[in-house]
Parts: sequence; structure tokens; C-alpha cells
Amino acid sequence: MSNFISKSMREVFSETMIEIAKKDERVIVIVADISHGLFKNFRKIFPSRYYNIGICEPSIVNLAAGLCKVGLIPFVHTIAPFLIQRSYEQIKLDFGYQNLNINLVSVGSSFDYSKLGCSHHCYEDVANLKHFKRSKIFIPGNSNELYKMILNNYQKKNINYFRLSEFQNKKPILKNGFVVKKGKDVTIVVLGHSLDLVLTASDKLEKDSINTEIIYFNQINNVDMKNLATSVKKTNKLICIEELSNKGGLFEDCLKELSEIKFRSDHLAITDFIHKYGTYKELASSAGFNVNNIVKKVKNLIK
Amino acid sequence: MNKDLRKKILEVVKRAKEGHIPSSFSIVDILDYLYANVINYSKSNPYKPDRDFFYLSKGHASVALFVVLNKYKLLTNSDLLSYGNLNSKLGGHPDMTKLKFVEASTGSLGHGFPTAIGTALGLKIKKIQSKVYVLVGDGECHEGTVWESANIASNNKLNNICAIVDWNKSASQLMPIENLKDKWKAFGWRVINMNGHSTISFKKNFDKFLNYNGKKPTVIIADTIKGKGSKLIEGHGIWHHKIPNENEYHNILKTIE
Repeated sequence: MSNFISKSMREVFSETMIEIAKKDERVIVIVADISHGLFKNFRKIFPSRYYNIGICEPSIVNLAAGLCKVGLIPFVHTIAPFLIQRSYEQIKLDFGYQNLNINLVSVGSSFDYSKLGCSHHCYEDVANLKHFKRSKIFIPGNSNELYKMILNNYQKKNINYFRLSEFQNKKPILKNGFVVKKGKDVTIVVLGHSLDLVLTASDKLEKDSINTEIIYFNQINNVDMKNLATSVKKTNKLICIEELSNKGGLFEDCLKELSEIKFRSDHLAITDFIHKYGTYKELASSAGFNVNNIVKKVKNLIK
Repeated sequence: MNKDLRKKILEVVKRAKEGHIPSSFSIVDILDYLYANVINYSKSNPYKPDRDFFYLSKGHASVALFVVLNKYKLLTNSDLLSYGNLNSKLGGHPDMTKLKFVEASTGSLGHGFPTAIGTALGLKIKKIQSKVYVLVGDGECHEGTVWESANIASNNKLNNICAIVDWNKSASQLMPIENLKDKWKAFGWRVINMNGHSTISFKKNFDKFLNYNGKKPTVIIADTIKGKGSKLIEGHGIWHHKIPNENEYHNILKTIE
């Protein structure tokens, strides 16, 4: 299995689970009445290792701690707000405080369930989990990235959070903090599946002779950010684009990393509930995640 | 009724100025019986994969667990005496990262119980024949996660778990419509009633669990008295989290004699 470009992250998640479960009999999948169609094959191959427990997320997360006690490796899967926020105390106490290992896998990203309203949106999950020293937060921009992330990390003694999105970048970038494009005028730091939007904006900016350097992240919390300082020392300007709450995300980490450098900065993130229905693209655009707004922000920054 | 363990609880709490005495008195007889006769553990190998698991879900009664672990030499005297100190392994709620023979760091009510259910499921997955015991408070049964997990246990036929509800009537102080037995029954559990302070009753009822061949999870509703053992602190008054001064300590001690 190496190329998943045509597949959704959810499909790749379920296929990856079969691959690792074949090799590692400790792996158990628990879902809260979601993705059961996608896990049909998994359930067929490993009937005693798949549980669609029901709609009771805090108990499911807590139950996973009990599975850890007998040496199993649980994956708990449901929609982001219910997995992380409804179950936050369970993650904090049952895994953080007790040093147990869990793999949390969400779908829905920040507002993929755009027409379902704010109950199904989740912008603050990453900020919530960043509080735990042992949390590893994976925000893949592409299915191939997700596959590698799960494979390389699931068995490590961490609170692993894999945050799946419906939308993905055309090409995978397998290295966190990778300089996707070299430039001299402004550093754009971008998280996960917002990369393609930034690449389009960057092409537009090039036509106006604005040369952007783009650094891509698909993992946050205690990660290597050394390419960032090198870049911002050169450009003296930073704009961070992350489809997350404007507090507690990647921008905060950038500022910390760059504390000894003088630079101008701007931030595109989610400032409040996106209190609307509509398509994902319409919601994203209304929150500022559109090419014209990114172009405008960059131009303002380099004025 | 175990007087020595009660005296020890009183002494430990008074020295550290921390602990829940009546809640500990309520369950100490049950814990003593479990560790003496029911729970299969290995002193030399606390993490033996086929051990029985015990979870104290009502973590605020930690001192009862500590004095019982101490009685069966699973916890040293010096550890017990250090209770509440800065570098102690022991505190007002148990911590599994610090202490062997403690399976979960409980304290926030409604956490130990779902963990126990997960362990029972895990043992089934691994085809290990061990049992899981979990002690929950009746007040703790206000928590939604208790009922979510009760539902999970019966639907997954977890007949390897025995929950013990410390029915010391804390819950009904706030919510008089209790129907505890009916509720557990409605959630698909096999319900056993037990006197929570009588060894004869313990033997009879824990044997019922151990000899059970059906598919339901078992709950033993233990009829207990909060503060049992000292008339001075019995019931639901000021003593829930009160620390006795020297004078009060001696007065309570006298009532245990």
C-alpha cells in the first residue's frame, strides 16, 4: 500500500487498520456508531477486535483505558467534537494523568459537516489536546500522509490524535515543517489540507511579483520547527494559515519558536463559531479561507 | 466489622489531615473480604496478566483501600505512614502511576467503572479467565458514564465483571427517587443484594458471582452504613470530609473500641 491519492482519509484509515491489525494482534477498533460501513472488512477479518459500542463517547474513551490495562492498543473513532470535547476529562484523566496510550481518530475536521451546524464543528480540539505533554497531534493534508502517520506512531506510548478531513491536498508532503516552496518576500506557514489553497494564492501573488516561501506542517506540539526561523530571518514576515481556532494552534507555536527574531506577522484562523449552513467551501470562504483573502492579507503584510 | 482497620483509617487520616473517614468505614469490610478471599493477585508480580482486577471507582475512599493493601502486605507500613506527604505514593485519591496493586487513578467519579468495563472486555478479547471487581458509590451512580457503561457491559455479555455498589444512602440525600435495584436490572444486570458489613453475607453473595454460569454482568448492591463502626460519625452529617482534632480523634476511637 503506498498510493492512496484517489481515496478518502476515512477509507485509508480503515484499510490501514486492517494492515496493522494483521501484524499486531493488540490492535482494537472502537467506533461510536460511525464509519461502520468502512469497517465492514475489518469486522469480517477481526470480529473480536471491532466494536461499534454505541453513542456514549466519554464511556468509550474511558473503556479504552480499560483495554490498555490488559495490554491492548485501542483506536477510538468518531466525530471530532464528541471524541475530543465531550470526552475531554476522560482523555485528560484516563490517558494523560495515568500515562496510558491511546489512538484517537476523528473525522469532520473543523467544519467538514458544514450543513449540520456548530454542534458538529470542532475548531478547538487541537488547542485542547496541546495541554498534554504526551499528546502527538497529526493533521494530515493527504491520505498518504495519514497512512504513514498511523503506521509510524500507533504503538508509541502517547496520546496520538489523528485528525482526518474530507478535503485533501493533491500531493502528499511526508515531512513535517517542509519548505514546499522557496521565496524571499514573505513566509507562509500552513497547516494540513489548507496547503492547496495557499499554493493557489501563492501563484496569484507571483503574478504581482510577490515571492512567497511556504512551509507546511501536518503535525503540531513539540515538533521540529527549525526551517521556520531560517525562513523568517530571511523574509521578516510571517503569515500563518490554519483551519483551527485562533487560540492554541500552530501560530502560537511559531511565535514561541521565533521569540528572538523581529518580524511582522498575521494570522488566518477561526475566530468564533461559524454560525452558518452551506457547503464546506462556502463556510471556509466566509471564515476567510479563500484565495482572495489570503492574497489580500499577504499584500497588507508586505506593504 | 473490622475494628483494627477502622482505627488505622482514623489514625492515617488524622495524621495527614486529609481523607474521607465515613466513606472509608462504609466499604472497608467489603475490601477486607475481597482481598482475603476473592481477588486473585500475585504479591511478587502485581501486573500478572491473568490477575483479577480491582477498581476502586469511588476513589475518595482511598484510605480504606490503603489499610487493606497494608494488611495483606501489598503496601509497606512506611508507605502507609507517608500518606499525604509531598513525595508519598499515597494520597486522598489513589494513583496507579505511583502504587502497585492500584489499577486506576480514580477520584473523578464515574471513571473507574468504565475502565473496569473496558478491562472486562479486554480480558474477553484475550480469552483470559480472570474477573474484574469494581466498587462504585451509590452517589457515584448519579454520573451518566456509570449508566452508559452499564449498558455496554450487558450488551457485550461481560459476565466476568462484578460491580459492587456501596449503597450507603448518599445518593438518596439528593435524589430520593432511587430504585437502584430496578435500574441495574433494567440495564440488563444480574442484581444481588448483600449486607455490606457481614462476612457471612459476603461469602454467600460473592460465591453467587463466582459460581455464576449465565451471560449477564453481576452487580452486588451492598447495604452499608456510611461511617459504620463509630456512632459519632455515622450518617450524612459534617464528617464526610472533616478531619478530627486530637479530642475528636480520641472520642471517635473510643466509640470504635
